[in-house]
Amino acid sequence: MKTRLPDHGPVEAPRFWRTLEERVETPEARQAAHDEFLPGAVPAYDDVHGLPPQSGVSRRDFLGLVSAAAALAATVGCDRKGQGTVVPYTKRPVEVTPGVANYYASAFQEGRRVYPVLVKTREGRPIHLTGNDEHPGVRGKTSPRAMADVLRLYDPDRLRAPKAEGRTIGWTEAEARLHGSLQAAKATGKPVLLLSGAVASPTRKALLADLKAALPTLEHLAYEPAAGDAAEEAARVSYGQSVAIQPRLAKAKVILSLGADFLNGEDPETLAAWGAQRRLKSAKEPINRLWVLEGPLTLTGTNADHRYPVAPSRLAALAFTLARELAAKGLPLPAGANLSALPGGAPADVPTQAWANLVKDLQHAGRNAVVLCGAQMPAAAHQAAHLLNAMLGSEAMALSPAEPLATTRDLEAAVQGMAAGRYAAAIFWDVNPAFTYARATAWKDAVAKVPLRAWIGLMEDETAAQCQLVLPENHWLESWGDYATPGATVLQQPTVGTLYDTRQGEDVLLGLLKALGAAPAADYHAYLRARWEKAGLQGGTFEQALHDGLVKTDAKPTAPAFRGASVASAERAAKGAEGFELVLFPGFAPHDGRHANNSWLQETPDPISKMTWDNPVAVSVQDAQALGIQEGDFVTLTLEGTTLRLPAVIQPGQAKGVLALALGYGRTTGGVAKGVGANAYPFLGLDPTTANVRQGARLAKAGGRKELSRTQSHHRMEGRDIVRSLTMDEFLHHPQGHHHQPELVTLYEEQKFPDHKWGMVIDLAACVGCSACVVACQSENNVPVVGPEQVAKGREMHWIRIDRYYEGELENPKVVHQPMLCQHCDSAPCENVCPVNATNHSPDGLNQMAYNRCVGTRYCANNCPYKVRRFNFLEYTAYKTEPETLAYNPEVTVRPRGVMEKCSFCVQRINDVKIRAKGEGRSILDGEVTTACMAGCPSDAIVFGDLKDPESRIAQLVTATRAYRVLEEVGAKPAITYLADLKNPVEGGHHAN
Amino acid sequence: MADADRKPLLDRAAALLAGPFLLGRQALSLAFPSDRETPEAPALALQRIPVTPPEHAIKRRG
Repeated sequence: MKTRLPDHGPVEAPRFWRTLEERVETPEARQAAHDEFLPGAVPAYDDVHGLPPQSGVSRRDFLGLVSAAAALAATVGCDRKGQGTVVPYTKRPVEVTPGVANYYASAFQEGRRVYPVLVKTREGRPIHLTGNDEHPGVRGKTSPRAMADVLRLYDPDRLRAPKAEGRTIGWTEAEARLHGSLQAAKATGKPVLLLSGAVASPTRKALLADLKAALPTLEHLAYEPAAGDAAEEAARVSYGQSVAIQPRLAKAKVILSLGADFLNGEDPETLAAWGAQRRLKSAKEPINRLWVLEGPLTLTGTNADHRYPVAPSRLAALAFTLARELAAKGLPLPAGANLSALPGGAPADVPTQAWANLVKDLQHAGRNAVVLCGAQMPAAAHQAAHLLNAMLGSEAMALSPAEPLATTRDLEAAVQGMAAGRYAAAIFWDVNPAFTYARATAWKDAVAKVPLRAWIGLMEDETAAQCQLVLPENHWLESWGDYATPGATVLQQPTVGTLYDTRQGEDVLLGLLKALGAAPAADYHAYLRARWEKAGLQGGTFEQALHDGLVKTDAKPTAPAFRGASVASAERAAKGAEGFELVLFPGFAPHDGRHANNSWLQETPDPISKMTWDNPVAVSVQDAQALGIQEGDFVTLTLEGTTLRLPAVIQPGQAKGVLALALGYGRTTGGVAKGVGANAYPFLGLDPTTANVRQGARLAKAGGRKELSRTQSHHRMEGRDIVRSLTMDEFLHHPQGHHHQPELVTLYEEQKFPDHKWGMVIDLAACVGCSACVVACQSENNVPVVGPEQVAKGREMHWIRIDRYYEGELENPKVVHQPMLCQHCDSAPCENVCPVNATNHSPDGLNQMAYNRCVGTRYCANNCPYKVRRFNFLEYTAYKTEPETLAYNPEVTVRPRGVMEKCSFCVQRINDVKIRAKGEGRSILDGEVTTACMAGCPSDAIVFGDLKDPESRIAQLVTATRAYRVLEEVGAKPAITYLADLKNPVEGGHHAN
Repeated sequence: MADADRKPLLDRAAALLAGPFLLGRQALSLAFPSDRETPEAPALALQRIPVTPPEHAIKRRG
């Protein structure tokens, strides 16, 4: 809907901006900020002489069409087609009470990381995940991808029965073929290759040991393509073994990140500790300081107090120089580390004063400082980080031994073995090397020479297509398992019976074990239980452990000792090469590709670029200017003979000469994943020390443009005062800055709230922008997925979005993230304009929607100053069938075409608590009602509660000195209060010691 | 609204004719079902995926 832009007069460059167009204030950007919908979002009508748009249909025509439509509706209404039947259970399962949710503790694994979770089921269907609140580390929080994985359970692409050479067979035939081949291999003594994901489960490890005992020629490789080969290589050099490094931010006063994205939502424990340090009530409380040196802009970089763009290949040299300076200031240098060959003084990558401040900060913080290195960064940078932590004696991280992972070097050896006909059989279990291995053609040719190729997994992928035997696996929500985590051993239990004729991978291996002559337990549940009852219950019962989902342990693994770092690696890394430096990192949505078929994740905007459904190559502002590249331009990216044609995005804050490209896109299988983005795995290096950071890439304009499905320019709020960010000095002296409390004059009567007045507080200092709230809301509220074409038109349906604001210079801006959702205004502008009263106010302060009353005028969306109403332009839900519909939350209406929707403050959860409290004859307790976004937020940035209860946490938070309401001057009286973001720079911040 | 602002004649005619035509066809098909055999819809039970509770699992609450 396009209307004339009012004359604002001269416009100053905005302090905060979201897009490059906003930064330079183009007329198009001003017009886009003024319009409610993007061009194309609303069907175009005649624009008569600049007047508001008219329908183009005369009154006579309109009445004719209305009559025809009414008659048609009456006629079609007589049709009984499509009616279903609701029937009660003839035999109700004991556990299920219709209408009452059951919760099960279980666990989800992604790479080496384990997420203890609590699974909500309705009528037997798992529908929503949160973290396990009993776990001492995660404390009820989890990651966005873990939450979204409930959708994979109901993926229509799931394999439903075993297959051999493409034809469906039964398990008996499948097992006969697998067992026969492996028995023959055992008899002939030929090796068998088993390629699986990381082993984090003690019982799976025991099973693999049993299998190895029964089949001595078994060669097992644990392969995680996104884990970062360089980290693995560096750990072997620094500690002589694989290690897991867990930050302990509660103890950290100064944090230095060398390209480490530890705030990206994957680690709820770290995010919780970060949030706890940043949720300040007064400026006198201690706060940490985060220094970031990185190439591409990461979520961690956006939360930094000081950030400097540095090419990843330079990180090792910088960190070793830092070590040399700290040693010169008296920090002990571990035996074996000799840094005398390094040049002294501040490096050119960082301003001299900033470098001096960093050295001082680290020196003062000592054991309360920690240096973290990104998994994808070169091995030399990891070694330098290990050295720095050893010098500092850092207590702000926990080092523990980890199960080793295969690197590209190990994979290359396996490829050569397969090509040479060394293996009798190969089993691929939950891995997809045909997609993730850099030399895909070599892999395909080598695999074809293995006589029996078996695949175990959830959905047929590129590797399954190369195997004769395809065995369908249970989803983890249908499976048993256990995991060792710091502080607790976690149990994984099924939360639903198997939906199809599938088995869990461990049961397939147990069957194999039996066929090879061993006498294991009847199934994996019995195997696991027997093992736990023998060793793992710490005096409790197995049932209690299943109830809790874990058994707490006090045992602390012995931290491996540091063996010294070689400065030679720093010198090697410092040698530059011509061309661009390409950084390959796991995509936010698909990770290594395993989640690429998950439409919730594909449509969740990338936290930095705000891209959905694609992986364009990110180019720095300076390089884009030099090459004349505009956003969305197609470019060719070439490296060592591999060329990709893909769109480009210009990323403020990215280091000059650095390109960034996400892995996990460009899949060739999967109803959702196929054809989304470009496959970047062919660019991965075969040298494990620098596999993800490649030198010598070439970039050129390829001609043509792509319309990007990018949300950062959607739902703009005309450059008004939306987001606030304070330094610690400002927090101390001027927490409200230049802002003054507006004097509100209204013609409306004051709203009365007899019992409750629900409200929310969002602390921007704690919010890191990880998007966990977006996924939690999508899962809880049946928010539909609309696809890339609709997103490009600004029709995405998320009820909560994270607005990412830049501040300052294009080359290295500061960043603030702001979750934006319906503000549930007391004097809501949307309510006044609804012609059918479909949106109105509840007695407890909710701005509520009656979906079946909405006629879709979209007046409410036009009148909402916060741009948080979402319209169902098309029918996004009605044609869905099982299994997809099984993921729906039955407590939330599924909205049809033509209906407006928005955040409801999870009214179903409020009512659930109300009913429970009433049944128990008590009042609602503070903190008892949690919205999905609040429950999902790992840094506890969101607090929901009753503003009428003076003792409630929220009632106290709204009076904080950092508190403000967005667009308060409009007079809408929003129920959401924001607490201004905080930064702790050296100048204007606190000393970090 | 002035005639000049109206949509082209063909567009309006199409909109006015298409509605009644589709309406009429639907009404006729309901009153006089076609003799042509239509493939039978699969039984409802076959379309459904059986959801069963997990064996041996212990729930936290509910």
